[in-house]
Amino acid sequence: MSSPSQAIIAINIPPEFGGRPLFEGYDPGTFYDESIAPDGKPRPEAAAMHEILAGMPLDVFEERRQLADLSYLVQGITFTVYSDGRGTERLFPFDLVPRIIPRHEWDVIEKGLAQRVMALNFYLQDIYGKQRILRDKIIPRQLVQSCKHFRREMMGLNVPRDIYVHIAGIDLVRDSRTGEYLVLEDNARSPSGISYVLENRLVMRRTFARAFEVSEVMPVDHYPNELGRILRSLSPRSGDRPVVVLLTPGLYNSAYFEHCFLAQEMGIELVEGRDLVVVDDVVYMKTIHGLTRVDVIYRRVDDDFLDPLAFRADSLVGVPGLMNAYRAGNIALANAVGTGVADDKAIYAFVPDFIRYYLGEEPILKNVDTYLCSRPDHLSYVLDHLGELVVKAVGESGGYGMLMGPSSDKKTIEDFRVRLKADPRNYIAQPVIPLSRCPSFDPATGTMSARHIDLRPYCLYDGEKVTIVPGGLTRVALQKGSLVVNSSQGGGSKDTWVLRGDGGQEA
Amino acid sequence: MLSRIADSLFWIGRYMERADNTARILDVNYHMLLEQPPDTYKLRWDPLIAITGERTRFYQRFEEANAQTAFDYLGYSADNPNSIAQCIILARENARTIRDRISRELWEDINGLYHKINKLRDEGEGLSRFCDAVKRGGHRFHGVCDATLARDEGWHFLQAGCALERAEMTARILDVHYHQLVEGPQILNEARSHAWVAVLKSVAAYEFYKRQHSHIEPTQVAQLLLLDPRHPRSVRFNLGVLQNSLYAISGSVPGSYANEGERLTGRAHESLTYDSIDEIFSGGLHDYLEEMQATCRTIGAHISQTYLYYAVS
Repeated sequence: MSSPSQAIIAINIPPEFGGRPLFEGYDPGTFYDESIAPDGKPRPEAAAMHEILAGMPLDVFEERRQLADLSYLVQGITFTVYSDGRGTERLFPFDLVPRIIPRHEWDVIEKGLAQRVMALNFYLQDIYGKQRILRDKIIPRQLVQSCKHFRREMMGLNVPRDIYVHIAGIDLVRDSRTGEYLVLEDNARSPSGISYVLENRLVMRRTFARAFEVSEVMPVDHYPNELGRILRSLSPRSGDRPVVVLLTPGLYNSAYFEHCFLAQEMGIELVEGRDLVVVDDVVYMKTIHGLTRVDVIYRRVDDDFLDPLAFRADSLVGVPGLMNAYRAGNIALANAVGTGVADDKAIYAFVPDFIRYYLGEEPILKNVDTYLCSRPDHLSYVLDHLGELVVKAVGESGGYGMLMGPSSDKKTIEDFRVRLKADPRNYIAQPVIPLSRCPSFDPATGTMSARHIDLRPYCLYDGEKVTIVPGGLTRVALQKGSLVVNSSQGGGSKDTWVLRGDGGQEA
Repeated sequence: MLSRIADSLFWIGRYMERADNTARILDVNYHMLLEQPPDTYKLRWDPLIAITGERTRFYQRFEEANAQTAFDYLGYSADNPNSIAQCIILARENARTIRDRISRELWEDINGLYHKINKLRDEGEGLSRFCDAVKRGGHRFHGVCDATLARDEGWHFLQAGCALERAEMTARILDVHYHQLVEGPQILNEARSHAWVAVLKSVAAYEFYKRQHSHIEPTQVAQLLLLDPRHPRSVRFNLGVLQNSLYAISGSVPGSYANEGERLTGRAHESLTYDSIDEIFSGGLHDYLEEMQATCRTIGAHISQTYLYYAVS
């Protein structure tokens, strides 16, 4: 840690933390606990780390926690909250207790995700091509074409190497009742969070170096290389070194840090819409010595804002004429335009059918049971059971537009009832899944408590195989009892360890 | 290099330099006035506001210029786009935008300075410690740049920004003080001499001056700040740095120019090299300095047009 940082904020350990043991009074409770088995002993995969943590006095742990926070602040890995007229920097809370996955579990997850990503790509290729799946009535035509992320402009457009989803973030949860991993949602547009996976690991390695000596944790830092390789392979021009850029909406986007981070790691130019210009259906960037041709754009700008001539005319962050260049085959975009028709929460219900239809395989990872409010029979069930279900708006993400039935008051539920009836296509409902939990530290009270978590692995598809960085982003609902892990809703994150073996003494 | 990135580097240089210079003149003035008779007091804060080009906006807000109002306005005010805090915010914003293109150390340093001045404000720290932190921040900024940045085109845009800002700022400091002290209302000799010392100190040139001259002479002060090729804050020195950076960017060789910005920089640098201070005084120092500041502004506009915001046909 550099010295100017020390001057910014001093480390301050509450005296009452003293030398109390960290896990004093820890209660794994009745949910599946990722660290502690029902018999009260640590699970084999978590045993080595648990021993280190359990032997660590509270004040020592707290000091490390504050140093870790400080390193995020110094690096500016913060988001800005405007409350008193000037911006206040907030950290995305990072919890120091890692989530640990044994190898045999990861092997299943990896295969299941690869299968899913392949199927999503076949589906998109089909939907914007021959539409066999609609003719075979595997999924209702009406449902696909009413999706607000369905892009007519993509019909019949040949995307480079037939890849639509190059990068997918697929959210998994573990059901406490069965111990099984379930897919909660697909993110096939521009999933964010990978920079936290890499930074969290960096901070953990510095903070708990010894734990890495005794646990065989699989590395994650090859992600940018792998992504860079895929992006370069998309170039429509053969021969010389392709020019790949990352298109960002700019500084005020909440994922801006990630955009910078990835551009730097991949050694590509980070550009804003105003840096690019389209001349005769060719994309260029403006440099100090004139225009330079661009071949591949890793875009972190939504479809709607990508090209004001094709989509929303009021977009200030897009590139006028980009869609024409795309159609002319002069530029590759990752992910392709129109992938939102694969991660719509109503379409989600059909992904297991996609797997069967395109791959002829049974899905390895199950979906959560999903009621489509567009179906009258499902809608009437949902309306009768609003208090027990989770209702989600199909096109939203980030925990917005969501009803948590069991924890909502009557008024909120009735509000949703009205909305559901007015626009059933826009909603799905699912039973509440009792998510697994992981020990997490509460700095306010200095206690370790079990908190609900999910997992977002990041999948890369190069047209032949799917590569998944071991682990992914574990998000944690830091509020007691909360099942909502989104950062916009007060969630934090954890480092995720996939072990080379299954942990324990024998491994 | 993307034009937008070059633009950000250019402005990081300018904003950091502007913050540093503003802190210097505030700090020196404050300390000098601690030992001054109160009747000269009022007279001596107004020029500071003038140096920053903020008189109109300042007097819309405050009745008189004194240590507190000057500090409020030049130090932290969000209404003053050139206040030290605003300069640091903008430098940080530019650095944040291009953080993938600068060293991690440089980003962390600018980010650290931003958090530091926020903390000083929250703690209600006074002018002296605040200015000190900004000046140290300025030194560290140059040190971190020097020790961690590659000498590529980006470096030269950063250098160009710093040099242009510093040249203009030194010309303006000299202009305003000269106007006040020589052409303005008569004040005590003793106070006047103190004021010249303050001018020299605000550009860290007092010791260098004293090594060459036994007493304070306005002509000599002007000679040093304008024409001395050895002092890193003189106008001539900085136009030389600017010229070298512009050559490095375009590939021009000395004695030639590739664009209007280079031509004007070269011409101004020639003039500062071959004009004598006596000639300048007989032609009118104020006019000379005004023209020099205008030239700096024009050069900035041409750099922008040539490299940063050119039209695409």
